[in-house]
Order: sequence, then structure tokens, then C-alpha cells
Amino acid sequence: MSEVAFTLNGRAWSGTVPEGTTLAELLREDVGLTGTKIACAEGTCGSCTVLVDGRAVLSCILLAPQAEGCEVTTIEGLGDEGSLSSLQRAFVEEDALQCGFCTGGQVVSATALLAANPHPTRDQVRYAMSGNLCRCGAYPGIERAVLRAAEETSA
Amino acid sequence: MAKLQKTSVEMEGRYEDRWVLVEDEPPAWEDERELSVAGTRVARLTGPRRVSGAARYVSDVTLPAMLQAVVVRSPHAHATVELDIDAARAVPGVHAVLSAADGGVTQGENPIFTSEPAFAGAPVAALACEDDVSARAALAALAPRYAQLGFVVDPARALAEQRFQEDPVEDESGDVEAGMAAADAIVEAEYSTSAQVQHALEPHCAVAQWLGDELHVHVSTQGIWDARAQLARAFGLDPDRVHVTCEYMGGGFGAKQGPTTEGLIAAYLSRAAAGRAVRVFNDRRSEAVATGHRAQTQQRYRIGATKDGALTAIELTSVIANPMRGWINPTTIPARTLYRCANVRAQAIPLRIDVEPSNAFRAPGIMEGTFGYESALDELAALLEMDPLDLRRANDVDVDQVSGMPYSAKNLSACIDRAAELAGWAGRDALRDREHADGRQRGLGAACQIWWGGGGPPAHALVRMGHDGLVTVVTGAQDIGTGVTTAFAMVAAEELGLPLERVRVEVGSTRYGVFAPVSGGSQTMPSVAPAVRSAAFDLKGKLLELAGDVFEVSPDDLLIVDGEFVSLDGALREPVTEVTGKLGQAQLVGTGSRGPNPDGMRVNTFGCQVAQVAVDVATGEITVERIVAVHDIGRVISPLQARSQVEGGVLQGLGFALMEQRIVDPTTGTVVNANLEDYKLPTHADCPEIVVDFIDKPDPNASSLGLKGLGEPPIVPTAPAIANAVFHATGVRVRSSPITRRRFLEERAR
Repeated sequence: MSEVAFTLNGRAWSGTVPEGTTLAELLREDVGLTGTKIACAEGTCGSCTVLVDGRAVLSCILLAPQAEGCEVTTIEGLGDEGSLSSLQRAFVEEDALQCGFCTGGQVVSATALLAANPHPTRDQVRYAMSGNLCRCGAYPGIERAVLRAAEETSA
Repeated sequence: MAKLQKTSVEMEGRYEDRWVLVEDEPPAWEDERELSVAGTRVARLTGPRRVSGAARYVSDVTLPAMLQAVVVRSPHAHATVELDIDAARAVPGVHAVLSAADGGVTQGENPIFTSEPAFAGAPVAALACEDDVSARAALAALAPRYAQLGFVVDPARALAEQRFQEDPVEDESGDVEAGMAAADAIVEAEYSTSAQVQHALEPHCAVAQWLGDELHVHVSTQGIWDARAQLARAFGLDPDRVHVTCEYMGGGFGAKQGPTTEGLIAAYLSRAAAGRAVRVFNDRRSEAVATGHRAQTQQRYRIGATKDGALTAIELTSVIANPMRGWINPTTIPARTLYRCANVRAQAIPLRIDVEPSNAFRAPGIMEGTFGYESALDELAALLEMDPLDLRRANDVDVDQVSGMPYSAKNLSACIDRAAELAGWAGRDALRDREHADGRQRGLGAACQIWWGGGGPPAHALVRMGHDGLVTVVTGAQDIGTGVTTAFAMVAAEELGLPLERVRVEVGSTRYGVFAPVSGGSQTMPSVAPAVRSAAFDLKGKLLELAGDVFEVSPDDLLIVDGEFVSLDGALREPVTEVTGKLGQAQLVGTGSRGPNPDGMRVNTFGCQVAQVAVDVATGEITVERIVAVHDIGRVISPLQARSQVEGGVLQGLGFALMEQRIVDPTTGTVVNANLEDYKLPTHADCPEIVVDFIDKPDPNASSLGLKGLGEPPIVPTAPAIANAVFHATGVRVRSSPITRRRFLEERAR
């Protein structure tokens, strides 16, 4: 068992997990934050993306103890149903999702993108987001949503 | 009035006259201009919940004392297997082990587990364990020992050996030889398409639990009612003792039918584990090898036409690798129905190879068939030196070429004209002939589409209203990501004269007892939305009766507008809550059903897409720059979600055209790209500009709403449009999908 302590969505979290537990498993099973999804469990689809110290990270291939002492932000930490972030609102307005299973990861990746580059071009959005697969094909909507959120921030 | 009526029911092109429970629908909306919600831009109602991580998907469901299932799969294409079942059962923390040794563990007629696995990935056992530690120990104790047997995974070899899954089927109309003799030009070509995997991002998953003699199952499915029926049959239960829930699920695309194998395994394991909750959650590899795919095909066409482009004869042989038993993918339908041709001979040959059986994947059969047929027609147009769209216009027809029945409505020519206009078709040769600064060659290609999508009964809904004047629409459909729940709310709000924010929708549970069909065949909207409208109409009638009593006026003199009762003379204007406020805790309930389908006509959807590609002929890199998609699906209720459906269909079609193929190693019979790294799905960077438009004219014969389905249509013509654009840009015709760089360069070198 490993002890691990970090800041999760602004609050201290600590606990003990079996060896080999990934951050995604910890979030979903130990904390109950199921907005972080597991679709491939091998770091190829982006559905499990969370922010670790502001960087977009694949939580399905990050061992939980590697988050020790870090600031971890999940989709739930970006805004809840009643108080969506401007990016989440843009996702809804542009219909940037269909089944919604990959959406949490998409929003987290786009949040990291806009933090690093508040006014990305269309091509920058496309390349920065390419690690987040969407099988429903919501890419055009996601692109519109990210550009819209960027525009609204500057306004 | 509810009645039992014999009506024509269609599912993905299979027609059947069946007794169904129907009620008449109210008359169609009279004045289109007065619609205030239907047809407007409305954000998806489930959006806030989905973008905040709050939506609870089936894979998020956790129950107390829940056990984890481990499914053991054969690594070999064909083998016998021996297992130490007793040793596995003896491992602490193991609560159930099922294998071929247990009788009566079946999916339909077939045992789920086998001692002679016939494809790599076939389940041989499943265990219910407390945790990873007990699961690993149990797998070690189970110690599967395989003895490999011979197998065939190459369709060409299966054809040579005449390994048929079913008997080949031939359909013939007219006189093909005479038609060929009358032709001025005959094109002859062979096309092949690859196995495409659905790869929904939420893997197949389920949680099952027995509570006494009741079975509760959460399953990621496209059909909660089929799940209920099949689970009830599997366990010999009254269907009312089976409760199936699917509130949010992460995509299906055809691969998640009924209880799915995973739902059945969970239920069987739970029963064997004294009713404890059991969760099955597939890993990605299982998704790639054992949950279905679009069948690989090989299609050979001979098509004759006169100088002016009129089709005189079509001859076609389509070989389909490993279809499901009892259903031959309708790959010949596009050639038989998309355009006018009196003389057609079409043969379908279903082969058996030792991979998992294929299953439905968005527009199964039709999409593959359209790749071949619309590519062949493009080759015919080149032979005739005719504009490819003019060739299609010349053969447009208002009568279904198989049944002889007229279409309920058809606007294919309008789709072609609009797509040509939006894509700049008139300038396509100039685009091709111009030198581009990036050195790439550009061109446009087009393809058209026919699909069913008329829906039909039975489909039911109820709409209830409480004292606060808020409305809940209840139906036993499931929202698999299409956005149907938003459209249902829009229909109810429109009918009731209420603001949309006063309407919510509940779907995804069989417990309501309100039947709705499987989300497949593009039938949810055309089946369920009219039932929702009927239920809202029924509720409105009751509400107006009550208002008449309260305000002492005739209900016939009242309307509901923007949440207010308004008298025709304008004298009375009172909020709806003035009446509903008197209900206390009681609910006013309206019910409704989908009416029967029209007699003597075929209800179909149509469309045309134009692709613009840029090709680097030196490397074979193909970039799709733009897809223009114009579809005719009757009335469009919710344009925002309809646009998303088209974009998604186009992207899956693009994947099929350029990158997706499941590769089976012929020496081992196993899938070598069983993950999302080596199996290439389209990414953000592959996404072209997608221009979406609809004809948006209600079909006067298709239900009181005049709408048809949109799930399948947009995926159908994308791949041949891209192949035809590659040909236009470069003169290179690639007849196999996906059009990889290697295939392009090989064809170019010919």
C-alpha cells in the first residue's frame, strides 16, 4: 500500500492505495469522482485527462503516488452543472458533444490549452486537441467551442 | 383510441406486416410559420450535466458489495481449451466461475462460453471476484490450456473453399443480358472494403444484481426493451421482474444491442454469486476483438448505360466476410434502389471465416455497398465523359425499384443541386487544373445516399404535468448521444404552448413501462417523437377542459400560448399555473402512441455529399479539406443536434475511407491492432470543414410530424465521395478502402 496526499479540486486529499493504483482509479473508485473516464486504460484516447499542476495529464497511466504534493483538477473541479466555466458553457452552446463520454477529457485539455495560449488559431486548437479522441465525431463543435470561449475571454 | 392494427414495420430494410398497438396521431401542425420551438436552435438539455462530469454513465455505476467480473478469452483463432474450474473456485475472494461446463448460460440459442473457441477473443470463462488480487490468483488457478486447431481468416481462401455462413442469395429483375446489349458503355470493376470496428469510447459494460426474484441490470445499450426481453427469456422470468436502466451511455454505433453479452454475463455471474452485484467492464482489447465490427466485403460490378447516361443493366456480386447468422448485410441494396434501373442481377455471398461474427455498424451493408456502387458510377461517368452529378440526376426515380411502390417523398435532386452549389461544383475542373502553392493536387467528388429511417409503431410516450405547471415527458427510449431527448422536449413544448425550460424528459428505464424501440436503423425520432407529440396533445386537451371549468368558458375557445391560457377573443389571459395550481400533488397525464405507417409507399431518406481533397501525389498523403453534406430527412426538429449527427457520420465515413481497418494476421488468426494506438481513428487534426444543410420539408406521408431518422444517412456517402474526389484530383482510382498512402501509390504506379 502507498500513502498519497495531494490537493484535489482545491481541497486537501490523502489516503492509502494499493501498489499500482493509477490516478484515474483513485479518482473514480476511492474518491468517487467519475467524471474522469476510462476508455482505453493505456494512454491513447485522452478520456481520462486531468490537470496536474496546470498541465493536461493522462490519469490512466499516471500512478497515484506520482501526484504526491501536486494540485490535481478534474472535470468536476472546473465548474458544476449550475456554475459552468465559460468553456463548458461554450461546449453546451456549440453542441460540442454527443454521447459525452470523452467530453470531460476534451474540456480539461482545452482548459489547459487556453491557459497556455489564450487566443489559439484554428490549427493550434486542432493540433493541441488531437490527443483527445471522440468517436461520435464532435470535433467541429469542439473546435467552435474552444474558439468561442477564447473570443469571449478577450471581450 | 388504442387499437391493434396490422401495419408494415421496417428495420434496416427488413419489412414485415405485424400486429402492433397504435393510436391515431393528431392532425399535422397547420401553420408552419406559427411554430415557435420546433426547428429553432436549442442547446442539448443534457449538455450541462455532460460537460461537468456529473452525468452518471453505466460504467460509473457502483453498488454495495459489488464484485468485478473477469472474462477469459481465447488467444487463438481456433482451439480446444481445458480449465481447472474447481481450483479457481477455491481461491479466496472468488464468488463465481462460469464456463462451457455450466449448462444454460446462453445468449439467444448460443452458449456464451465454449470449450472450442472459434475465434481469437471468444469467451471461454468468466469469474466474479472481490478485487484484483483475487482475480489474478483465480486466473492463475484456472490455468487455461489450449490445443490449437486449423482456421481460415482470409476471405479469398474461404471463398475458394466455399465456406458459406448462409446460402448465397440472388435477386434478379428484368433482363440483364438484354440491358447489357442495349448499353453504349459498360463499366466493370471490383471494390473491397475493410473491417471497421465501432470502438465506442465507453466499452461494453454492465452491472447486474438479483434482489429476490427480481433482476436489476444497468447496461450500456441501444435497446433497454430488447435487453429486458432477452434477459427475461434467458432466466425464464416474467419481463416485469426484469428492470433495465441506461441513463447515460457512451456510444454504441450498432455494437450494443439488447442486453449485450456483457449484460448477460453480469446477470449469470450475479445469480451464481447468490445475487451479489457484479460488474463487467471490457478492456479496449476486448472491444477490438469480441464486440463486433463492420464486415469486410468484396464487390464486383458490371454496369451498362446509354450515351445519355440512362442505366440499362447492373450485375453485381458481393462477398461478405462473416455476417451474423440469419442476416445478410444488405450490400446490394444501393445498386438495386439508389437509381432507376429495370435490369438488375445481384448476388450476395456470405462467407464464414474464423473471426468474431460482424454485427451492425451505422448503416450496416449499405455504407459498404454505396462505396462500391457510387465509385463504379463515377467510373461510368468518366467513361461516358459525363458530369458525375448529371449521371445521377439522369437516373433519379420516384419509385422504389425493388417493391415498385412510390416513395412517400423524395428530394434527392434538390440535395444534389444544393450540395453542388455549396461545394462550388461548377468550378471543380478549374480547381483541379490550377497549380497550388503547396504543390498538392485538388479535386471534388460526389456520392449520393439512400437509407430507410421512416420508423413506425409501436412507440409510446406519456407527458405529465404537476401543480407547478412543469412538464415531464416519459418514454422508454435511450439517448445514446443523438440528442433525441432534447428533440422530444421541443416537440412537447411546441404542442403544449409552453416555454422549453418548463419541459424535462426522462428516458433510459424500463420501469416506466412506456415502450420505445431500439436506437438503431435511424428510427428513434420518426417512431417516438410523434408519440411524444400525441401524448402532449392528449394532455393539452385535458388541460383545456380543466381551464374551461375554472374560467367558465368553452375549452374550444381557448389556446395555450407561452405558458398562458388565451381566449380566442383575447379577453382572457391567465397563466397555466392558475389551473394546475389546484392539482395539489396530483398529476395530469397525457398518453400517446405512434400511428400506423402509410400503406402502399416506401419511406426513405436521401442525401448527397461532395468532398474536396488535397493529395500529395509523391507521398500519397490525402487530406480531406471540406465535406458538403445535404440530406433530405423531412422536417428537422432540432437543427443543432441534427448538425452534430451529420458531422459525426461524416467523420466515421472519413475514417472508413482513409484510415480505419482491423488487421488480422493470417498466420495466427489474431487481430494485430487491437488498441486505439494502431487502429487509426480520425482525430481533431483529420477533421475537415463540414458544411451541413437539410432540405427540411416535412414528408406529408411520414407521421403527423413529417420527419425521418438521421442516425445512418450521413455516414453512407462520405467514403465514395472522398474516393471520387481523389480520382478527380489525380486520375488515380483506388478501389479499396481505406485509401492508404500505400494503396494510392501502388495504384498510381500501375
